[in-house]
Amino acid sequence: MADRRPDLEDNYRVKRQKVVEEPLGKMRQNGFVADVKGDPSKNPYLAHHYQNEASSSPPQLQNNKRHATTSKDAELMENGPLNAFTGKPLSQQYMSILKTRRDLPVHAQRDEFLQLYQKSQILVFVGETGSGKTTQIPQFVLFDDVPHLHNQMVACTQPRRVAAMSVAQRVAQEMDVTLGEEVGYSIRFEDKTSPKTMLKYMTDGMLLREAMHDNDLSRYSTIILDEAHERTLATDILMGLLKEVVLRRPDLKLIIMSATLDATKFQRYFHDAPLLAVPGRTHPVEIFYTPEPERDYVEAAIRTVLQIHASEPEGDILLFLTGEEEIEDACRKISLEADEMIREADAGPLKVYPLYGTLPPQQQQRIFDPAPPPRTPGGRPGRKCIVSTNIAETSLTIDGIVYVVDPGFSKQKVYNPRIRVESLLVSPISKASAQQRAGRAGRTRPGKCFRLYTEGAFKKELIEQTYPEILRSNLASTVLELKKLGIDDLVHFDLMDPPAPETLMRALEELNYLACLDDEGDLTTLGRLASEFPLDPALAVMLISSPEFYCSNEILSLTALLSVPQLFVRPASQRKRADEMKDLFAHPDGDHLTMLNVYHAFKGDEAQKNPKQWCHDHFLSFRALTQADNVRLQLKRIMERSELELMSTSFEDKKYYENIRRALVSGFFMQVAKRDGSGKTYVTVKDDQSVLLHPSTVLGQDSEWVVYNEFVLTTKNYIRTVTAVKPEWLLDIAPTYYDIDSFKKGEIRTALQRTIDKIRRKEAIKGGRK
Amino acid sequence: MGNSDEEDDYMSMFIAEPTKPQQETSIQRRARKEREAEIRGRVKSKAEKQADEAAAREAALAKSLDSSNKGFKMMEKLGFKPGDTLGATKHARAEPIHLVIKEDRGGIGLDTEKKRKFREQVEHEAKRVKADEGEYRERIRLEREEKRREGQILNAQKVAERLDNEAKDVAVLGEVSNTEPEAQGKSSDTQRASEPSQSINVLWRGLVRRRLEKERERRMRYDLTQSLSRLPTYEDPDEDENYRLALGKENKWSSLEEELEEEDPELDEFNGLPSDQRLGRLVLYMRDTHHYCFWCKYQYPDGSMDGCPGTTEDDHD
Repeated sequence: MADRRPDLEDNYRVKRQKVVEEPLGKMRQNGFVADVKGDPSKNPYLAHHYQNEASSSPPQLQNNKRHATTSKDAELMENGPLNAFTGKPLSQQYMSILKTRRDLPVHAQRDEFLQLYQKSQILVFVGETGSGKTTQIPQFVLFDDVPHLHNQMVACTQPRRVAAMSVAQRVAQEMDVTLGEEVGYSIRFEDKTSPKTMLKYMTDGMLLREAMHDNDLSRYSTIILDEAHERTLATDILMGLLKEVVLRRPDLKLIIMSATLDATKFQRYFHDAPLLAVPGRTHPVEIFYTPEPERDYVEAAIRTVLQIHASEPEGDILLFLTGEEEIEDACRKISLEADEMIREADAGPLKVYPLYGTLPPQQQQRIFDPAPPPRTPGGRPGRKCIVSTNIAETSLTIDGIVYVVDPGFSKQKVYNPRIRVESLLVSPISKASAQQRAGRAGRTRPGKCFRLYTEGAFKKELIEQTYPEILRSNLASTVLELKKLGIDDLVHFDLMDPPAPETLMRALEELNYLACLDDEGDLTTLGRLASEFPLDPALAVMLISSPEFYCSNEILSLTALLSVPQLFVRPASQRKRADEMKDLFAHPDGDHLTMLNVYHAFKGDEAQKNPKQWCHDHFLSFRALTQADNVRLQLKRIMERSELELMSTSFEDKKYYENIRRALVSGFFMQVAKRDGSGKTYVTVKDDQSVLLHPSTVLGQDSEWVVYNEFVLTTKNYIRTVTAVKPEWLLDIAPTYYDIDSFKKGEIRTALQRTIDKIRRKEAIKGGRK
Repeated sequence: MGNSDEEDDYMSMFIAEPTKPQQETSIQRRARKEREAEIRGRVKSKAEKQADEAAAREAALAKSLDSSNKGFKMMEKLGFKPGDTLGATKHARAEPIHLVIKEDRGGIGLDTEKKRKFREQVEHEAKRVKADEGEYRERIRLEREEKRREGQILNAQKVAERLDNEAKDVAVLGEVSNTEPEAQGKSSDTQRASEPSQSINVLWRGLVRRRLEKERERRMRYDLTQSLSRLPTYEDPDEDENYRLALGKENKWSSLEEELEEEDPELDEFNGLPSDQRLGRLVLYMRDTHHYCFWCKYQYPDGSMDGCPGTTEDDHD
């Protein structure tokens, strides 16, 4: 495919330039758009730009032949004095950043990169952490690909929203442009781009959604899939998709970027695409193993941190644990012990910071604080210790870390189609993950990594690579997307690691019950509509059906609330107070309604006077609520676009809450549990899993049937966010799923039969009266 | 219900009970309902619940989705067959990833280490038990064997003695063929009795000695009851010579006494041999000397012992 490019080159240019001629808002880039008719300096309309430059006109992007530039050409333009993309003079800050950029390892191989990029349609690029690939490669591409001259863009995907935002910010700074103009980002529910945007950082999920409307991704001239080694669900699907798109679009260039050296798998998958590897800037890390397996990895980790603090030279510590609770607990214990060490053994001061996803940003920021100074001048140096989930493994880089403590566990998403549970479970990490963690110790200088397991266990117990997300996820929403992408043969869709057939089976079945797919497996009108929403199919279907229950406003709010992280804050020190506050909003019929009460109160006048304070006083997450507000706005736009009516039942109407509960059933009828005889246990419908209501629920004990939002798998099975429903509704709203014949004999079938009989009796009486 | 019926039938001789489809009375029904409700209403312990939960989960996890699934039917239309995998290439995953729920804070490798240690212990224990068991059985077997062989030795000794005596008698008979058999017998008996034990073949000397010892014991006991306060060996210097004679108190004890108390290294040596060797020597002796096979229980007419399968017991199986 790539061979054809040179021939097409000129044609494309002509075509593109024609496009450019049209007043597409491109005229503002006066400097180079006008070159259609030759040198812009000759353009009388633009003469004022060139008055002072006299004979030595600066290098111009448009003077270079597309896909034939060298690093020299690019460097000349980077040197300025005018910004090659905006035409504005370059700032002082730009110049200083440029210096550091040129020191990055990738810069040394810029020419090599350009040659391969120009020669091949697909390129696999391997750059270890710290090589500068995420920030530099897209810029390298910009200078050679000049997408804006062709009314196109360069996309660079990131697995995480935070990364997409922060990298875009950084690159905007490096290019001396305003974020959201030439360089922007796009994440779910937030689009910070403009028509000027030529480089877009985005989550891989966003690019996938864009592909649903533009199957050939024709807006993009080059697509860079960054952090491909993380193998997120969306990246895997994108790879499968792009593998087909590159055949249809020979002009599209694709770069797969990975941080691990095992990139041959990517090469093989993409028909032996060329590979370029750039070494990272890392120092050697000495690895230590324990002689015996540990009985308690948390306790062992704390002990190890304290030992490092007591006996190792200066340098910060990074400890990997699995979850919020574990991390907070460890932080407390380490602090206490360290204080004692300072008092009794004259140890240096030790600052301990937690780090996990749900931590508020300002607290996350604290991990970048410098280590504390010695208590007395010339005393023993202080250090900081960061206790983190695996987000510090790849996505966040903290300088100054010299010691890494790795117990070998992380919380990983798992999905099993047989019991339809998607949950986070503490699992052993992979060898690749362990290496990545160790590497974190060598960012600033040679470091040490303490693995809290034996070398034998490392070799024998850990799997080579972490399972890609596609093998650990419910694929219902992915299948809907693929259908929308026009991929009909899901069975033979070329994925790098196809999931187990049962996973696809279950996803298709779920979508069929939700009426998104018909029995033939084709997208229904409802399915097509549901795919418009960046939501789980169940949520989307609930939202779309909500006008039928006269409560689309409320369901819209609820959907937004269910799409953001935990609403209720429950600090360990003030649990009782927090619970009391939550009780203020509690609705006896369940958590969904309680969440809705919270949202309505938040939008009330009293709260809006000082929403931040109000949230703080009521133990609510201000961040989550504002985020929900934003999500609601985005979803509302899609609803309006799809002509879904927004309405509410009057609050005075006694059916106000009932309608909402019924609408809930329309999406979540497959997540229903029935109380098991007496007692606290519930049994999930169809899967017969014994579950308990999550302790956080406000629901009373007397609800026989409940819908739940989440099945949480721990040592106990919990259902979280539950609301009481009536069996009549189940039979009425989801008759296919609640077809009595599909149930095996047992309590649930008996109860359903009783309900059917009851309905018949009622109808008979009604009929009799008439 | 089926079970209780069977239980009813258990003691009955009839195959079909005509009263079987008996209706349960209202009282019975109530009792049954109460019983059932009690079982249902019984609050299970935490551990039981957890075990139930885990069992239900494992059961569900072990059961794969089958062709009754609607999704399967859609996939079938795309050419999917049971047992296939997804994707464009082969070797894709066929089974979902196994769910492992970590229930403690044990470090990586601890479980395997525990399992390994446990397995080792179990293996060790099993080996020990097996060894003990084997040893015991072997010991018992050997003891029995030994006992049996001792019995055989005793028998063989008796046979050998008999054969020897018979042979001697024949020889004596040949010498003094004209003497009366009765007298002959007597003479040979007395002769034998007075024979010094050293001259008896070592093979059955033990037997003779034991017999003598027994005899002495018997006599001593007899004497004890007869002579009341005196040991049979007591020699009363005042006793009349005639009395002594009349009471049969001959002085033969002394020689026996001496003999019995005498050390007999040859016999000790023989007795020190393992039982099978002693038996073997006896058997061979009888074969060589008397053409008698201990195992065939038959005295062959000549040295070729035509018809005897061999010299050991095993040969005669």
